[in-house]
Amino acid sequence: MTKVQLKGVRKDFGAFTAIENIDLEIASGELVALLGPSGCGKTTTLRMISGLEVPSFGSILFDDKDVSEVPVQDRNVGMVFQRYALFPHMSVEKNVAFGLKVRGTPRPEIEERLQEILDVVQLNEFRHRFPAQLSGGQMQRVAIARTLITKPSVLMMDEPLANLDTKLRGEMRRFIRALQKRLGITTIFVTHDQVEAMELADRVAVIFDGHLAQYDAPDALYQRPNSIKIADFMGATNIFTAKVDASGQAQTSFTTLKLGPDEIGQGSRNASVILRSEVIDLLLTAEEAPADNTFAGVVTAREFFGATVNYSVTCGDEKIIVTEQSRRLVEIGQQVWLNIQPDRIWLIPEAA
Amino acid sequence: MKNPKPPELARHRRERLWMMLQLLPVFSVLTILFGGALVLAVLQSLGFAPWFGVNTFPDFSYFGALWGSYSFWQSLALTLYYALMATFISLVMGVLLALAMVRMFPGKSLYKYLYKLPLMIPYTVGIALAVIMLGNGGMLSRLAAFAGLISDPSEFPQILKTHYGWGIIAVYVWKQAPFVTLTIYAVLLGVGRETEEAATILGASRWQTFFQVTLPQILPGIVSSTLIIFAFNIGAFEAPFILGGGYPDTLPVVAWRYFNDADYTLQLQGMATVVSIALIASGILFTYLALYRRYERRIGRN
Ligand SMILES: Nc1ncnc2c1ncn2[C@@H]1O[C@H](COP(=O)(O)OP(=O)(O)O)[C@@H](O)[C@H]1O
Ligand SMILES: [Mg+2]
Repeated sequence: MTKVQLKGVRKDFGAFTAIENIDLEIASGELVALLGPSGCGKTTTLRMISGLEVPSFGSILFDDKDVSEVPVQDRNVGMVFQRYALFPHMSVEKNVAFGLKVRGTPRPEIEERLQEILDVVQLNEFRHRFPAQLSGGQMQRVAIARTLITKPSVLMMDEPLANLDTKLRGEMRRFIRALQKRLGITTIFVTHDQVEAMELADRVAVIFDGHLAQYDAPDALYQRPNSIKIADFMGATNIFTAKVDASGQAQTSFTTLKLGPDEIGQGSRNASVILRSEVIDLLLTAEEAPADNTFAGVVTAREFFGATVNYSVTCGDEKIIVTEQSRRLVEIGQQVWLNIQPDRIWLIPEAA
Repeated sequence: MKNPKPPELARHRRERLWMMLQLLPVFSVLTILFGGALVLAVLQSLGFAPWFGVNTFPDFSYFGALWGSYSFWQSLALTLYYALMATFISLVMGVLLALAMVRMFPGKSLYKYLYKLPLMIPYTVGIALAVIMLGNGGMLSRLAAFAGLISDPSEFPQILKTHYGWGIIAVYVWKQAPFVTLTIYAVLLGVGRETEEAATILGASRWQTFFQVTLPQILPGIVSSTLIIFAFNIGAFEAPFILGGGYPDTLPVVAWRYFNDADYTLQLQGMATVVSIALIASGILFTYLALYRRYERRIGRN
């Protein structure tokens, strides 16, 4: 169990700055996701924590001790590489036992722990196979077993699920989560998929272009993003500019929205409002709608996803996406009324 | 299983025939150039040379005379010693250089061009360079004398023209270490750094990482490049001829002396020498490959 801290960490590759001044604290036993688009510096961050790269500035601390001078071999971290990096010339059991063998662990103990970990990842029947004879999911489990057998104090995984098909990805997600909870091991995992990050992580660190943009619990990140960019990355669709006045009213191009009590009496300003598609109610008659925050529109498109359905509703000059459980299907061209509760509206100040 | 229908069978036959026809030029060149020469060499070494007025086929006396003489075995030992030493040193240096090349170091981009230079310069130039640099009265001896390490260039240790063969080995290594580097570098680029990094994170030292992770993965490159340079070294003639220590000579030089003798019947003795070199070289290379195959099968490669 180890607490990991990054303090003012920066990484330059020649003239290019891959990571700019990141501060991050990962509590002992926590599962943190590094989330961001491809090329934002997630892998670089992991490599610095593991010691494969040396930060240009700043320090990395394990349990409040600076590990900058500790060589990779002695950091006792574990890393599951994006492309697994299995040893192609070794069988599954040799791959898995490698970490113990090079540490000079006695033979009987290696046997015992090998058996134990192969049972955990359910690879016992494949122990004599070579990596080239395994499927993607099996290779991944070998990579995880090879890392876990050394009992690392910090486990890192670089896009562990990116190369798997959808069904297997769900399975591996649950497997990783259960394993992490059972072992209580501090885990950092990298992904560019916000759904994956939210499902797995205790906290999510969003990185854009080498900057830490927001570090929060999944629900906070989803419901209360601190910038439009994050809202956009987390899948928000209905983002509109608005003029907010002191009475807590937001004037948009299509209607005036009443905001939650937190926004009253803060002076007038420009801001963006986010209306999450799943908290908007779609009504077929004006009578059943509450008086506040109801506005009219016309359904102009429909996307059917099976369990859910998305409607594009045109209100004035804007298009608003509404997500519903597909218990009913509303026809295109239908006149509808949209309603949103004041405290469900999230406001982002203009500067952000 | 259903039998293919006759028209399909006919088409299949036609395609096969056409493929054979297309391959014919290659096969004939290969057969005439290599097979033909080999058959002729073997025939001659067994006493078939009517163009010299000799035809005692099959006659094993040439091999008998050759293998029965003590100097043949001395020559063989010398040939193998030069070839193996040069191959081994080239291999170690080449692998070390290739490992350095996949890492960052200052001046790397310049070095990437420099190291290939010997590959483009002919052996004979290399031999000439060795004479100029390494001989008594050569550049190195003069430099050493100038620096006061020795009082006169003639006191410089004898490098060329000894049976230690340091001059010969130096020329081979100068030319072949870059070749090994080139081959292994390409293999290393394909292998990538990730398995090494994974091993390091798992706690392996540099040595453990090299011998247990990197080396097995570059082994195919090592085997093919050493095969090529060893085959060259065992049959090479100029370097031991010019830089060697005289009698006993290496086998290719012995063969050359037979061919150049005024007594043309010794040509057949020369042929026996050449065939012996070929037999020994292929025996060694075959054993080497067989051992490698066994290793490959053991680690599950097919
Ligand atoms: N060794 C390197 N040399 C130069 N640039 C690098 C190196 N490693 C990564 N980069 C650059 O740093 C940026 C971040 O890379 P990376 O951390 O791999 O991103 P990702 O978030 O996709 O994992 C990229 O623009 C990449 O090109
Ligand atoms: Mg990456």
